[in-house]
This record gives sequence, structure tokens and C-alpha cells, in this order.
Amino acid sequence: MNTNDVDILLVDDSPDDVDLTLHALRAENLANRVFVARDGEEALDFLFCLGTHANRSFERPPKLVLLDLKLPKVDGLQVLKKVKGDTRTRNLCVVLMTSSREERDMVCGYELGANSYLQKPVDFDEFRKMVKTAGLYWLLINRPPVVKRAQQAAGQAK
Amino acid sequence: MSSAATQLETQSSVQPKPKLRTLMVEDNQLDAQLVLRALRKIDCEVSAVVVQDEAAFIRALRTQTPDVVLADYNLPNWKGMEALSVLRREGLDIPMILVSGALGDVTAVECIRQGATDYVLKDGLARLPEVVRRALREKYERGLRHKAEQDLAKKAEELTRSNADLEQFAYIASHDLQEPLRMVATYTQLLSERYRGKLDENADKFIGYASEGALRMQVLIQDLLAFSRVGKQDTCASVDCNDVMKEVRQTLSPALLESGGVITYASLPRVWANGTQVAQLFQNLVGNAIKFRGTEPLEISVSAESEDVRWLFSVTDNGIGIAPEYAENIFVVFQRLHTRSEYPGNGIGLAICKKIVQRYGGNIWVESHAGAGSTFKFTLPALRPDAPGKARK
Amino acid sequence: MKPGHELLIVDDNPADTALAREALAECAYRGQISSVGDGVEALAFLTRRGKYVHAIKPDLVILDLNLPKRDGLAVLTAMKANPDLRKIPVVIFSTSQLPQDIARSYELGANCYVSKPGNLTEFFSMMKSIEGFWFGSVSLPPRGE
Repeated sequence: MNTNDVDILLVDDSPDDVDLTLHALRAENLANRVFVARDGEEALDFLFCLGTHANRSFERPPKLVLLDLKLPKVDGLQVLKKVKGDTRTRNLCVVLMTSSREERDMVCGYELGANSYLQKPVDFDEFRKMVKTAGLYWLLINRPPVVKRAQQAAGQAK
Repeated sequence: MSSAATQLETQSSVQPKPKLRTLMVEDNQLDAQLVLRALRKIDCEVSAVVVQDEAAFIRALRTQTPDVVLADYNLPNWKGMEALSVLRREGLDIPMILVSGALGDVTAVECIRQGATDYVLKDGLARLPEVVRRALREKYERGLRHKAEQDLAKKAEELTRSNADLEQFAYIASHDLQEPLRMVATYTQLLSERYRGKLDENADKFIGYASEGALRMQVLIQDLLAFSRVGKQDTCASVDCNDVMKEVRQTLSPALLESGGVITYASLPRVWANGTQVAQLFQNLVGNAIKFRGTEPLEISVSAESEDVRWLFSVTDNGIGIAPEYAENIFVVFQRLHTRSEYPGNGIGLAICKKIVQRYGGNIWVESHAGAGSTFKFTLPALRPDAPGKARK
Repeated sequence: MKPGHELLIVDDNPADTALAREALAECAYRGQISSVGDGVEALAFLTRRGKYVHAIKPDLVILDLNLPKRDGLAVLTAMKANPDLRKIPVVIFSTSQLPQDIARSYELGANCYVSKPGNLTEFFSMMKSIEGFWFGSVSLPPRGE
């Protein structure tokens, strides 16, 4: 997959949750361009075009970042802080998706500028439904801030 | 423009003799008189101011602008060629003719190279009238050319401004029209849904017509907007037409599925154009092929052949075709060949295609007969060898 | 869709607000809907000033961009500058599809940007998606701060 052509960056270290998420996205045909990062450091490398992702471009951001909070190396809130604190990445749509039930985490998340905050349901079906709703909302309904295609025209004529 | 120059050119026998004002840089009185006598052959009222140094020269220039400067090459207090520098400094476009004793070819050529209009030897003054005439004529023509260039530039500027105004008008009109139209469209639809069967039967019909009209207006305005926008997007880049066709196929996939149509395209080239416009062009043509399909299973094929600096594309279908007498008509805005109940649409798709193709200096036309399918052909610029894949403004 | 949600719609077009209310009624939204018609009213409502002294802070704001007096981006900026209001998610809901409007909205802190569709079916479906996501899936920040 061309990492400059990614719709969703999924940052989650739980293999089960990743599987379930991909499964739910696949059912809506949204899983074609999903990149999975297993820790905060890789997520940052991806979004800031560093390290193994140095070939990535800031001009081709993912339409959505699904970000868990509890991550190895660099945790979710740190990633969020870095992303929302840098003008190059500030406009990214970052949706926190976590199993944490701590209100503190939620408040912190919104304070740091998370676009929205989702609490992972325990129930499989509820989990899938939530991923589906979120995927459809951020990929189809929402207008992302950057026009991705090489043909950047002012005002898309139909 | 010097009056002598104009007058010389526009001279008729009934007019009074034109004035020729000369400024001579000459220290020898006799030579000056000889020059004046030679000039009388020009059939003008010749007047002369004679100076010997730079200060006097400048004073004379500022007192009255001469039509021509006649300068000796070598004077005790000055050099004739210096007069040229003064003229330039003062920003005056006055021909300067060297009137001199033996100069030598090399020097003479050098003087002309440095800006002297011509030179005449003092023992060849018979040439002087013709030389002066020619110098003045050249100045006159220079003036005409300059004015023509200015007029052209002004017209071009006016045209650009007028075009911009028109496009802006079309854009604003379409854009601002959409808002109230949206209200009409959504609310007539809502009325239609909420009150169907609940009012009398005429109500349903009336609301239906209103709703339909509003929806049609919406599409019309969106198409007008698209039409006016062609030319606004100026960024060109290397566009891979295979990618464009892939995108078109995806955009039109619902219609394609419904029609059971098949699109084939051979390896298409890259062109140098604006990607969005190219996509719109292909989409309109393929969309039309789908819309105006016949009874046979729909087949659409897209191909291209090289015409060196251009690519000639062909979009061929096996649909209902177009009678040759309408072949030009269909590219006109809002021209339709069928009623709305036969085929939907408002007749702007091909006008947009034409505008896009013409923006790149190309052509678009159709080869078709009624009932025998159609081939739409158009040209787009090929990639230039010096700019591979780089986007430029 | 818990009852008790508070939604604020900021739109200068009463027709659009009415349409939004219709759409929300159709998807069984049981919360409160407040609406204001310009940017000054919006901020008065959010800061509970003047006639809005008894207003309840909304859980979600649906914000149009083209508003009289103070436009949507000004409201957004003011919200994000106010510690009491900045966590409230803001959905920009506008007819504008201009990239610069979209980019600017995100820059100023909008949570998302939804284009107002031109026909009824899409409008309704859009509102339902907004309702379904923000009031169905999302954990909204606690109101009482």
C-alpha cells in the first residue's frame, strides 16, 4: 500500500481490537487503505514523515486517525498533543478510540483538541457498530481539510 | 510626434509648406550655410539653430524641440557623438545625422552602431534631403507602431477584464442563486412527501411540478457554475488519462451497472492539462454515451493517437447516434436534440467539453449518423519534453 | 440517543433550522434543540448572557458559516478561546464547499465539516448521520465544567 494514499491511520496495540476494527471497516468497504501502527512512536513517524515513513508527504494526510490511548513507547495523549501542536498536522481528524472509562482521559482528550472521543464497547457487535458509524462519518460525511489528489483545483467542478 | 514628421508624411499640395526645425552642431559658418542650402530641396520651411558646445545644445533643446539634429563629428569644444548622449539623457527620440568631413568607413559604422541615425559627408550634401526624409519617415513609423502596440495592449487588457467580469458574474450568479433555490427544492420535496394524498389531487400534481422545476434548476445552475469555472483553474500538470478513466469509471459506476455497459480503453497517454478539467471532459463524454445508448448492449471505447504535439482522442459508442446536420449544434450551450421526457439533461455537457478543449487550443467534433453510434474526437496537448511531470502555473 | 442531550443550531436561515428540526424528529432525537440566528446571539447563548441567562450549555453545536453580525468562524474562534466552551464539539454545517473555508474551519478548531446538501433526501440523511455519530457513538465531554 502506498503510505501516501492512506484513508485511515489506525493506532492500536491490541491485536484483537485491530482485527475487529478492520473487520468492521471491511464490511463497509472502508478497509482498503488502512495503515496500522502498533505504538505511538510509529504513529508519530507516520504522521510526521520520519524514519521508515520519511517517504511520506505532509500534503497527503490520512482522512482519519483512530487513536487508542494506551500505547507502548508513546501514549495516545502524547501523540495527540504533538499532532495538534504542530501546524503541519494540526488539522488532522484525530478520533480517540479507547477502552478507558476515565473521565479524566476524555476531558484531557478534548482539551488537547481531539476531534471526537469514542469509548470502545465491550460487546463485539456494539464495537463493530461504533467503528462502522465512525468510519462512515469521517470518511464519507466529513469534509477533510486537505484535497488529496494531485489535481488540486480550486473548487471541484462535478 | 514631431510635426514635421507628420506633415512630411501627410503632405498634400494644398497645404502650406511644413516646418522643419533643425538643430545643428557645427562650428564652421560656411558649412552650416551649405547644409541649410542642401536642406531647402526638401520643400519645407527650414529653420536652423546652430550651436558649438554641450551647454548651448541643451539650451537649444529646451527652448524648442527640433525635428532633426545635424552634427559635425569633430568640433573644437565638443564631439558630435556626445549630442547623442544628451538626447538620450533628455529622453528625446530625435534623429541625429552626422554631417562630417572624411570619416572613414569603420568610424562611420561605429557611429551608426552607437545610435546615430545616418551620416552624410560634407562633400556629398546632395544626399542630405533624402537622408533627412528617411530619418523622419522612420520616426513617424516608429510612432505609429508604438501607438498600435499601446492600443493592442489596452484592448487585450480590456478583454481580459471583461472576461474576468463575465466569469465572475456567472460564478456569483450561479453561486448566490443556489441558496434560495435550495430552499425551494427541499421544501417542495418535503411538502410532496408529507402531504401526498392528504390534500386534493391537484395539490399533488402542482407540488410535483414545482418540485421538479426546482430540481432541474439546481442541476442547471450547477452546470452553469461548472461552465463558468472552466478557465478559472489554471494549474496544468502531467495528467495520466488512464487514471482519469479509472476515476470516471468509478464515478459513473451506478449508471454503468444500470445500463450494463462496458468501457474499454487502450493504454492512454499522459497529457499536459488541468486534471480536474480533463476528468470533467471524459466524464461528460462517457456519461453521454451511457445516456444515449441504443437497444444493443452498450459498448464504449476510448483510444488515442499521437499527432506529435497533440493527442487525438476518440470516444466511440454504439448508441443512438447523431444526424450529421446537428453535429455542430450539439456543442452549443443548452442545445438539446430530444425532449426532456426522452432523455434527461439540460444540454450543457458538450458545451463544457468544447470550452475545456478550446482552452488548450484544441478541437472537438463528432462523427456520427443517426442509429449508427457516435465517435467524439478531441485533441489535448501532449507532454512537453522539457517539463516531465512537473506542475507549472 | 439518551434523552437530555442539548443541541445548539446556529443558522441564519430559519428554513434550514426548521429542516434540521424535522430531520432530527424523524430519527427520534429526544434531546433539546435550541437555535439562534446570528453569531452575537450564539455567543450570548453560550456564555449565558442577557436573555440567555437560563440557557443550558449545549453538548454539541451545529454551526453555519455565513451568519450576520458575527460569522461562524468568529463564533468558533471565541468558543475555542473560552475555557468554559472550548471542549464543546462544533460541527460546521455550511453550503460552502470552498477549500479555504474548510481549511480555515479546521485551523480554528472545528471538530468536523459537513457540507449542506442541496436536496431533501441528502439533507435528512446528513442530519441523521450527524445525530447518529455525535449523540450515538461519541462520548461527549461532561457539561458541568
